[in-house]
Amino acid sequence: MSFFSRSPWILHYDGSSCNGCDIEVLACLTPLYDVERFGVINTGNPKHADILLVTGSVNERNIEIVRNLYRQMPDPKVVVAVGACACSGGIFARAYNVQGDIDKVIPVDVYVPGCAARPESIIDGVVQGIAALEAKQRMTA
Amino acid sequence: MSLPSIVFALVVLPAVLGGILSLLTRASLRNAIVVIGGVLVAVASVVSVVAFGGADGTFFGLPGNVTLGQSLLVVDVGLTALVVAFAVKHRRILAPILALAQLGIAVYLEVAGRLPEPDPQRLFWVDRLSMVMILVIGLIGPLICINAIGYMRAYHRSNPMIEGRRTVFFSLLFVFLAAMFGLVVSNYLPLMLVFWEITTICSFLLIGYTRTDETIGYAFRALNMNLLGGLGFGLAIVLLSNQPGGLDLALLTHSPAAGALLPAVALLAFAGITKSAQMPFSSWLIGAMYAPSPTSALLHSSTMVKAGVFLLLRLSPAMSGSTVGYLVAFVGLLTFLFVSLVAVTEQNTKKVLAYSTIGSLGLIVGCAGIGTPELAWVGVMIIIFHALAKSLLFLMVGTIENRLYTKNMENFDALLSLMPRVSALFLIGISGMFIAPFGIAIAKWTAIRAFLAVPGPAGAAMILIMAFGSSLTIFYWGKLLIKVLSARRQSDYERSIENRVSRYEWFTEGLLALGVLAATACVGLISDHVVGPYALAAFSATPRVFLAIDPAILLVMLSATLLLPLIGVISWLSPTYDQADFYASGRSANVGHVMGAALGGIKRVTLRNYYLDGVINGGLVFRAGTVACGAVLAAMVATSMVIR
Amino acid sequence: MNPAIYALGFVVFAPVLGGLLAGVDRIVSARMQGRVGPPLLQPFYDVGKLLQKRTRQINPIAEPLLIAHLGYMAATGALLLGGTDLIFTVFVFALAALLLVLAAGSANSPFSFAGAERELVVLLASEPFFILMMVAICKVTGASTFEGVLASSQLVAVQLPGVLLAFLLVATIKLRKSPFDISISHHPHQELVSGLTSDMSGRLLAYVELAHWYESALLCAFMVLLFNWSVPVGVLAFAVAYALEVLVDNATSRIKWQLVLRSTWAATLLLCGGNLLALFVMGR
Repeated sequence: MSFFSRSPWILHYDGSSCNGCDIEVLACLTPLYDVERFGVINTGNPKHADILLVTGSVNERNIEIVRNLYRQMPDPKVVVAVGACACSGGIFARAYNVQGDIDKVIPVDVYVPGCAARPESIIDGVVQGIAALEAKQRMTA
Repeated sequence: MSLPSIVFALVVLPAVLGGILSLLTRASLRNAIVVIGGVLVAVASVVSVVAFGGADGTFFGLPGNVTLGQSLLVVDVGLTALVVAFAVKHRRILAPILALAQLGIAVYLEVAGRLPEPDPQRLFWVDRLSMVMILVIGLIGPLICINAIGYMRAYHRSNPMIEGRRTVFFSLLFVFLAAMFGLVVSNYLPLMLVFWEITTICSFLLIGYTRTDETIGYAFRALNMNLLGGLGFGLAIVLLSNQPGGLDLALLTHSPAAGALLPAVALLAFAGITKSAQMPFSSWLIGAMYAPSPTSALLHSSTMVKAGVFLLLRLSPAMSGSTVGYLVAFVGLLTFLFVSLVAVTEQNTKKVLAYSTIGSLGLIVGCAGIGTPELAWVGVMIIIFHALAKSLLFLMVGTIENRLYTKNMENFDALLSLMPRVSALFLIGISGMFIAPFGIAIAKWTAIRAFLAVPGPAGAAMILIMAFGSSLTIFYWGKLLIKVLSARRQSDYERSIENRVSRYEWFTEGLLALGVLAATACVGLISDHVVGPYALAAFSATPRVFLAIDPAILLVMLSATLLLPLIGVISWLSPTYDQADFYASGRSANVGHVMGAALGGIKRVTLRNYYLDGVINGGLVFRAGTVACGAVLAAMVATSMVIR
Repeated sequence: MNPAIYALGFVVFAPVLGGLLAGVDRIVSARMQGRVGPPLLQPFYDVGKLLQKRTRQINPIAEPLLIAHLGYMAATGALLLGGTDLIFTVFVFALAALLLVLAAGSANSPFSFAGAERELVVLLASEPFFILMMVAICKVTGASTFEGVLASSQLVAVQLPGVLLAFLLVATIKLRKSPFDISISHHPHQELVSGLTSDMSGRLLAYVELAHWYESALLCAFMVLLFNWSVPVGVLAFAVAYALEVLVDNATSRIKWQLVLRSTWAATLLLCGGNLLALFVMGR
C-alpha cells in the first residue's frame, strides 16, 4: 500500500517569478482551501519533500539552485511547474536574464498553466502530481 | 611472595629505575628500559594483588624490622633544598617560605622530641583501597610511560624550539610512580607526608618541562599550592603528635573523630583538597595543562590528584556525620558545579578535560565528606573509572594534538573521517566517562540516591548541585562528541595522517581502551569483590547499591558502553561517506566543505560550537567559585577548631 | 501482573498512542486556526510514506545513531513501567535525547549543526528538572519504582505543586511546542529550515518521528507519576495538560535560546528546588 497519496510533502521554490503564483500557492494553505486536509505539508527542506512546486522561470542565478534542490530530493519525486512562467517562460520569456522555463533544467511532470494560476488549478496539479508519484513508486519499488 | 616484600619492591623498583634512567642519554637504551621497567612494574602490581588475597587490612613495617630513625628528616631536608635551589634560580619567594616552614615543623618535632616512636609493625597499611590505587598506578602508569616514548618523539619533532630533556622526563615519571606507591601504602603519617611532597616536586618539575616563562609560572603555582597543602599536613602532624596513636592513619580514621582530633582531620582534609585541585586551589591544575600530555594523563588525572581524594576517602569514616565532613563535602560539590559551568565556555580540549577531572574529583570529595558506605562505594568507583577513562582521553588528545597541531576542539572537526581509528579509541574514552550509564554515570546515580538520605537543607542543596552539574557535563561532552562524530570527505593526504601514529601510542591507547571496556563489563564483579567489601570494612555496614539487582539495567549499560565505539568501528570499516550534499539553501556544497556564495563566490563552511558566552562568563564563574569554596574551606577549618 | 508485560506493552502501544496524540494535536491546531485539518491517522500515513522513500545519507553513522535513539527512547519507557529505579531511567532518557543531537550533528552541515547545538541547550535546560522531579517523587512517596509510586498513599501533585508547574514548562520544551521549539518543530518549519532534521530523509525522519511518539508517551507516564491517584487520572491530567500545550503553541512565538535556558533554569531552581528544599526541611 502506498502512502504517497495520503502524505505528499511539498517543497515550494520561487524562481524568478513575480510572486503572483506564489501568493496563490500560499493561499492553498490558508483556511479557505486548506490543503493540509489531504496531508500536504509545505516543508522548506528538499530532503523532506516529495513534490517540488516551482513557480517562476529560470535565470542565470537560480539554474544551479533548481538543479541542486531537485538533486537533493530523495526518490520518488515529481516536479509541478506552476504558472505560465514555469511552464514556458510566460510573458517574461524574452527578457535578457530569463533562460527559459523549468523543464530546461529539471524534468517536469505536471504543468499548471495560468497567470497567476488559481489555487484550484494548483491543487488539481498537485493531485495529478501525486498520481505521478504513485506511478513512480510502483515502477521503482 | 609475601605482601610486604612485594610492596617494598613496588616502591623501590621504580625509584631505582628512575635513578638508572637519569643516567641514560641514549634514546634506544632509555626506551628499552622504560618498556621493560614498565612491564616489571605492571607485573609487580598484579602479583601484589595475588599476594594480598582479599584480606581486610594488613599492617607491616620495613623489611628486617629496620626503624625509620632520622631518615624522614634527611629526605625532608633534601626536598627543601631542592625547592629553595629552584626558587632562587627563578627568583620566587613564596615557595621557599612554604618549604622552609614545613622543614621547620619537621625539625621542631624532631628536636623537641615531640614525635613518638612509631610502631615498627604499623608503618604500612594495605587494604582494598590501597590495592585499587596500586592497580591504578601500576597498570595505568607504565602504559602512560610507554606511550610517552612515542608522544615525546612526535612532540619534540613538532616543537623544535623546546630543548629535549627526555632523560630527566622519563626518570621523573618513574620516581613519581615510586612515590605514589609509597603514598598509598603508608600508615604512618610523617612517612606519607614525605611521599606526598615527593609527588609535589615531581609534578613541579614535570610541569616546568618546557621551561618557557609561562610554564615555569604555572609550575611554581602548582608548587606553591601543593606546598601549602603539605604545610597543612605538617600542622596536622603537630596536633596529632600529642594524641596516643594519633599518627597511625588506620587508628585515626577508624571511627568518627571527636574533640582534639577534629582540627587535625580538618587540616589533613585541607591537604587533600589542595592536592586534588579543588576550589579555591583549582588554578594549578588548569595551568598544568601546558605540560606534555603524558604528564597530564599520569599526574593530573589518574594518579597524583587521586592521592588527594585517596586521603579524603581514608578520612571519610573520621569525618562521617560531622559538620566538618559536610563542609568538606560542600567544597567538593560546589567545585563540581562551578568547574562544570566553566568547562562549557572552554575551547581548549585539554582544559575541558582538566575541568572535568576537577569536577569528578569534586564528586569524590563530596562523597568522602559525608561518609556513608554507599558514598564510599561511589567514591572508589569514580576513582577506578575516572582514572581509566581520563588517562585514555588525555593520551588520545596528545596523539591528536601531535598530528593536527591543535588542542582547540573547534579544529577537531570531522575527526571520525580524518582519523577513524583514533576516533574510535577517543569515543571509548568519552563513553567510559559519561555516556555509559556505567562508570561515572552510575556513580552519579548512586550518589543522588545517597544524598536523598542526607537530612535537612544540605541534602536538598547537594541534589540540586548534582542535577545541574550533571546536565552541564552532558552539554560539554555532547559538544565534543558532535565534533568528533561529524564527517566530511578527506583528501588522501589527510587520510594518511593517522598512519604516522607510533606503535607505542597505538599499543598503550588500545590497551587502555580495552581496560575501560573490561572494567565496564565487570562492574558487578568489581562492586562485589573489591569496592563493596572495602565500604563494609571502612564503615561496618554493607552499601546498598542497586547494581546487581536489575538485569535490565546491566543490559542497558552494556549496550550503551559499546554503542559509540561500535559506531566508530563501523565507520572505520566503511570510510566512504555518501556524497549527498547537505542542504545549504540550494547552493552547491561539496568537497573541501565549501559552498557557493552570493555573486558566484565561494565560502568555506565553518561550524562553531555554542560556548554560552552571553549566559555564562567563564572567568567570573571561576572567580566566584574560588571565593565561595574558599569561604567554605575556611569555615571548615574554623569549625573544626571551635567544635569540641 | 508481571512488570515485563507492562514494559512490552509500552514498547508496542506507546507509538500508537503517541501517533494518535500527534494526530489530535494537528486537528486541534487546525481548528484553532479556522481550518479543517488532516485526518486523525495522518501521522501514521506520514511515517508510512517516509519509510517508503529512498534515504539520502550524508554521514552513514546517522542511521545507527538514530536507531539507537529510537531504541533507548523505547527502552526508557519500558524500564520505567518495568519497575526500574526512577532516577536511572532519567539518565537513560538523557542518553536517548543526546543520541538525536549526535545524529543531527554528524551531518556536519550548517542547519543541522545549529539545530544540534540548540538541542544541546534544550537538554541543558530540561535535564536538571527531570532529575529533580524524580528525586522529589522518590522523597515524597518513599518509593523508587513506578509501581511503588502508584501504590503510595502520598499524593505527589498535592505535595509537589512547584514540581507540577515546572513540569508543565519543561513538557512544553520536550513536546517541541512554541515558545521553546528552538531546535526542531513540527510543521510549519522554522528559521533553521528543519533544525535537527535538516539533513535527514526517508527512514531517518521516520525514526525521529517514532522516537518523538515514544517521548510523548513517556511524558504521559511522568504525568501519571505526578498524579498518582490512579493511571486513568494521570492520563486524564496529561490530556488536559496537552490541550494547554497546544493552546500555548498556537498563541506564542519562539523565544531566543538564551531566554529558554535562563527561564527554564530559573523555573527549575525556584519551583522545583524550592519544593525539594521544603521537603528536606520538613524532614520527610
